[in-house]
Amino acid sequence: MTALAAEARIAWAIARKDAVSELRGRSAASMTLFFAALVLLLFGFALGPDTRKLAEAAPGLLWLAIVFAGLLAVGRLHLLETDDGALEQLALYPIDRRAIYVGKALAGFVTMLVLGAVMLPVVGIMYGVELARAWPALSVTVVLGALGFSAVGTFYAGLTVRVRAREVMLPLLLLPVTAPLLLAAVKASAAALSGDPFGELGSWLQLLAGFDLVMLLVAGASYGFLLEE
Amino acid sequence: MPLTIYVSPRAAGAVEPQTPAVATVELARLFGRSAALAGVSLRVQAGRTVALLGANGAGKTTLLRILATAIRPSFGTARVDGIDVAERPDQVRGRVAYLSHATGLYDDLTGAENLRFAATLLAVPAPEREERIAETLATIGLTGMAAERVRNFSAGMRKRLALGRVLLASPTLVLLDEPHAALDEAGMQLVDALLAAWREAGITTLVASHALDRLQPFIDGSVRLESGVVAEIAGSGVEPNPEPRGAIGLPVGTGASV
Amino acid sequence: MRTRILGFGALATVALAAMFGLFVVPADLNQGDAQRIMYVHVASAWIAYLSFIVTALAGIGWLVRRDLRFDAVALAGAEIGVIFTALAIWGGMMWARPVWGTFWQWEDPRLTTTALLLALYIGYLLLRRLSDDPRRRATRAAVVGLVAAVDIPIVHFSVIWWRGLHQAPTFGSPDRLLHPAAPMQFVAALLLMLLAVTLAWLYLMIRRYQLARLETLLEEAARLGRLRSARASVARTAPVDITAAVDAAAPQPSRSTSSAEEPAR
Repeated sequence: MTALAAEARIAWAIARKDAVSELRGRSAASMTLFFAALVLLLFGFALGPDTRKLAEAAPGLLWLAIVFAGLLAVGRLHLLETDDGALEQLALYPIDRRAIYVGKALAGFVTMLVLGAVMLPVVGIMYGVELARAWPALSVTVVLGALGFSAVGTFYAGLTVRVRAREVMLPLLLLPVTAPLLLAAVKASAAALSGDPFGELGSWLQLLAGFDLVMLLVAGASYGFLLEE
Repeated sequence: MPLTIYVSPRAAGAVEPQTPAVATVELARLFGRSAALAGVSLRVQAGRTVALLGANGAGKTTLLRILATAIRPSFGTARVDGIDVAERPDQVRGRVAYLSHATGLYDDLTGAENLRFAATLLAVPAPEREERIAETLATIGLTGMAAERVRNFSAGMRKRLALGRVLLASPTLVLLDEPHAALDEAGMQLVDALLAAWREAGITTLVASHALDRLQPFIDGSVRLESGVVAEIAGSGVEPNPEPRGAIGLPVGTGASV
Repeated sequence: MRTRILGFGALATVALAAMFGLFVVPADLNQGDAQRIMYVHVASAWIAYLSFIVTALAGIGWLVRRDLRFDAVALAGAEIGVIFTALAIWGGMMWARPVWGTFWQWEDPRLTTTALLLALYIGYLLLRRLSDDPRRRATRAAVVGLVAAVDIPIVHFSVIWWRGLHQAPTFGSPDRLLHPAAPMQFVAALLLMLLAVTLAWLYLMIRRYQLARLETLLEEAARLGRLRSARASVARTAPVDITAAVDAAAPQPSRSTSSAEEPAR
């Protein structure tokens, strides 16, 4: 078996383990979803009862809710490893640390996808946004956004899980880095919803894809150093 | 009790027989302001079983964690089969199996799933994986609990499962940190049997323990640590490391260029 | 000594550039005297970028060579970079107020980008304070500095696109300044200022690096001292001497094996 196949197998085992754990501790996963929905509800209160205004702000609010809930989600995936010294044990297996990153990022990606898939219709209903004709472009945006957020989120969650004050440090370090992702995802979603009158959707999706690629490579190469003690 | 010890084909014969299994030079580790290890120079011969003795905080766990590559030395060097733990930790990891105080188990997975995860990461070949897991469960006496989530396990059962993970590895060096803790009489007998089997198979074993009486029949020698330094060496298989060293506490190796 | 000469040289160049920018170059036709802030603003932004690139490269140097001198360079770059980033934001706001009528101009990509830079690197500096092991601190800082550095161009790109994908660069950006139509004097003033702040940056970097080195050496000496005194206190009370290593003294606190960074003490 080639080294790459072995790495993929290990990454898959880690992602599957995380998924099983998250599904069994079902309350935690569903609480993240509930939190995102709650954020959307509060935005509704903050921006007043004017539905037109809400519909206009919908792309930004959607992605803010996804980012906030995503912070909790990627943080949780590393907290799973704090079960009785599991992270230390994981770091001691004779495996390439990049495989650990890929596995964790994969689990994060799937979690973020679920989050996006649930939040889209919620935004549609709560803010009165017409999603039907925009859904192919929106799906691509959610997939690229989820991948990028998971790519950096996994890295920073791995960094902060062993640091004092991790609850503060994770958002503090992660949010500025995700700014371009937020920006591009919001713009792409807005373009998709408005039927892309200026033909800019493609550019934003390219920017998202570029962010994903760069971050996967750099964070993947750096993650192993985080496990050093 | 079925007990098969697997020796890694990678490990067997890859090292010169004269190379000590463990060699440390002035090994030290600081945590904040206190020195957990304050300069330990030891050599453990390959294939021997050696007890690590000493009071709480004497440095036993720190020594084991450095050898397992869980933490890096602050000063000094440590080598496993001639490989420096700070320079090539990836190569050391394939040779070492470590049972720590923390079990490293996932609460929401079942006993069998925890072992399956470990077997995958330890590269137990897929065709024999299920067989090995079943065999291991039988050895540690948890066959009946295999489908139960670890969250519902007692401390002793968790310890057994962690021992099972050590059994799935094919190490040349086994590091055990208080293996008897939390175990009942049957569990301690399991540890006895494992120690005997590893010794029989020629696998070097370092055991940190307070239960010297219990260990006595299974060990070649012992080291007593006190306050982070070697206080006493007894028996065979372990000796002071006469390699050249700096003046006491001077950095060797890892600390090289500050 | 050479560093001191560099310091005086930098000071003189900064003074010269300031005089030139304030008194020799005429005021801008559209923006008046406010435009003069641009010399400092652009120069600060340049220094900030330069510092952060140095921090990232020094981080890679640490990861590859494991020499704490690289980490001292990385720290110097990050701290000086943060100061100049703050300066750039301040300059941008001072400039925006008379020209656009608001302190914060969301249309200005330079201003919004630098604000994000400030957030990124304040996080970097905060993270550094959370480790007391010098090597672990260096490693964590190195990877965070690397990820932050590759994020900078993406941030810059996205913010420029954000203003409007097909809009011409705004008023007062360097594109306009360096446009052939711009008077040569403006260009000369800016180049002189860039030279001046780069010299000043070099001086600050050297001094901060030297300070960081001294701190590291002190820290390392203290660690060695603690180790020696731990051994010495053992030796005094030792009844047995087997390997020149010896017997016990004060009871050590027990050590937890948890994966948390700081063991319970």
